[in-house]
Amino acid sequence: MPRIDAARPRQDWWAKSSAGLLLGFSLGIASGCLLLEVLHGSIAIDAQLAMWAVVPVWMTVFCTCYLFRTGRRAWLALGGLNLLAYGALFVARLPPPLQG
Amino acid sequence: MRADILRTYKIVHTWAGIVSGLALFIAFYAGALTVFKEPIARWVTPPAAAPLATAMERAPELIQAVLAAHPAAANDLLLHLQTNEQNPARVSWTERAGKNGAGGGGGGHGAATTERRFRAGLNDDGSLRVEPVAPSALPDFLDTLHRVVGLPDDNDGNRAVMGVIACLYSLALVSGVIVLLPSLVKDFFALRFGKNLKRMWLDVHNVLGIMSLPFHIVMALTAVVFAFHDGIFEVQDRLVHGGRLESYWRGGTAPAAPARALADLMAPAQLLASVANIAPAFEPRTLQFGQLRGPRPSVRVWGFDPQDIARSSRGGFVSLDPYTGKVQSADLLPGRQPAAAATLTSFFALHFATFGGAAVRWIYFALGLVGAFLFYSGNLLWVESRRKTARGAAHAPAQKRSARLLAALTVGVCTGCIGGISFTMVMGRWLSGHVQDLPAWHVGAYYLVFFSAVGWAFARGAARAGPELFHAAALFTALIPLTSLCAVLVPATRLWASSSGAALGVDVVALLGALVLMLFGQAAARRARTAPTDSVWHAASAQNPVLAGR
Repeated sequence: MPRIDAARPRQDWWAKSSAGLLLGFSLGIASGCLLLEVLHGSIAIDAQLAMWAVVPVWMTVFCTCYLFRTGRRAWLALGGLNLLAYGALFVARLPPPLQG
Repeated sequence: MRADILRTYKIVHTWAGIVSGLALFIAFYAGALTVFKEPIARWVTPPAAAPLATAMERAPELIQAVLAAHPAAANDLLLHLQTNEQNPARVSWTERAGKNGAGGGGGGHGAATTERRFRAGLNDDGSLRVEPVAPSALPDFLDTLHRVVGLPDDNDGNRAVMGVIACLYSLALVSGVIVLLPSLVKDFFALRFGKNLKRMWLDVHNVLGIMSLPFHIVMALTAVVFAFHDGIFEVQDRLVHGGRLESYWRGGTAPAAPARALADLMAPAQLLASVANIAPAFEPRTLQFGQLRGPRPSVRVWGFDPQDIARSSRGGFVSLDPYTGKVQSADLLPGRQPAAAATLTSFFALHFATFGGAAVRWIYFALGLVGAFLFYSGNLLWVESRRKTARGAAHAPAQKRSARLLAALTVGVCTGCIGGISFTMVMGRWLSGHVQDLPAWHVGAYYLVFFSAVGWAFARGAARAGPELFHAAALFTALIPLTSLCAVLVPATRLWASSSGAALGVDVVALLGALVLMLFGQAAARRARTAPTDSVWHAASAQNPVLAGR
């Protein structure tokens, strides 16, 4: 059961917490905006749903960020997820190609 | 699960819990009471001096009379379909100073408030009788304590504090579940009362936490949303809405209607008939007229459908054109909500218990109190697990200062919050009509008791202050039914005897609460005598005073 110190994950409290809070928030924002792309109802309702969608994603990331072995890994993995999400959002919001 | 992850989350759970626990205790205790905001309002509000109830058939006449005499009422006029002793008038309205020009009734704008409320009824001869409404500030004060975790004012800064607490609350929930997972099956149905106090408190804490986990997940997520929605909306507005979010709330780009004469307003009965047409099971409660002279006049018909969820304690609503009866928006009309709107409504309903009627309100009340106890037990657990045990019978070691501090703080804050709320309720009843600024008295009375309790706990130490403060909280809570009893038995006190079942319910619940608090007090007194001398709960000098030593 005792592990050798080198293999032990570092606690990295500040790095992990900031990754969870900041990158979790931006990932939440992107998720909400992506949700908006697939909803096609009353815009006043959809805009609110897009706002509500942010928090579950944000809190899930924040609460699970201590599962990463190091703070560096947390920043890299969550940063990558953010890139993917905002990339998807960018593509989804491209103007539709002209129909012939 | 790997041991190091468990260890990390144990640390996370401890610190997220310890920082947010007491704030959450206040939020949950006050929140459980706000489920019954209306009965509490009816308990504390004196009956109207003269009946203002006007028959529904005369409502059109009444509305026209109010609008003629008080032009500002056209911006926010409520027609109440049900009246009771707390809300005796058929119509009421709010006038906001500085917004509606010099219009509106009565002079004397010396008051500090910018909002003034009125209610009105018709005399038998058809003349209008208007009286200012001074609704009790108590229910809203309890709501404020709930919304901003015990702070006095619901402003942006305090809401940010609440948001941080809510994030820590989410973190404490998830980390608590992670820590418990490996031993969940073994521990779940175990309640090991016995010599090992830490074991017992841990079992209690675990069983309460796991049983009410769904409730807490809902509360944690909705609380974070309520704290940060403005900011999130702003970010998304810039990112994807192109700055048009404001116009969405106004209903998009509906063309401005030509100005119409107030005399052309549809009769409420007709408006209600057209609502009944589209949603037969909908039970309307209130009609809210707005912007009757503006380009976008509207009336919101608020109410409930027993088979459906509703957004707020007012219910859900359908908005109509008050001149034509044409439906403007039925997205949030109970019984007619489309899937997306129903999903949205469910978030609010799950927080505010606006579904399933009285049964669900009682369940939420219980879950709220259990939640408060969960945070209390969490703090006790922290103290217990940091205990330095006495080795041999020689003399007990003084506990760490941090343990003595947290024990005192926990006892002081919890009993101060409970006692303060009970005291401010009772005071509202006794001082009603005798003092100028009752809302300020409510705030002052609560914080007086709250800080006295905290100060007392620090001065005396947790062990000695515990029984005293629990008994004091029990006494203040018992004053609630005693005040009502006094009103009936001693007319000379000029208190009023309330006849409503709702107010009687408040008395009964308060009486039960006082008994429970008394039992807590007796348990604390027993513990102060019989606890081991190395416990912060033992009244021995080694654990007192709070601030001395390390």
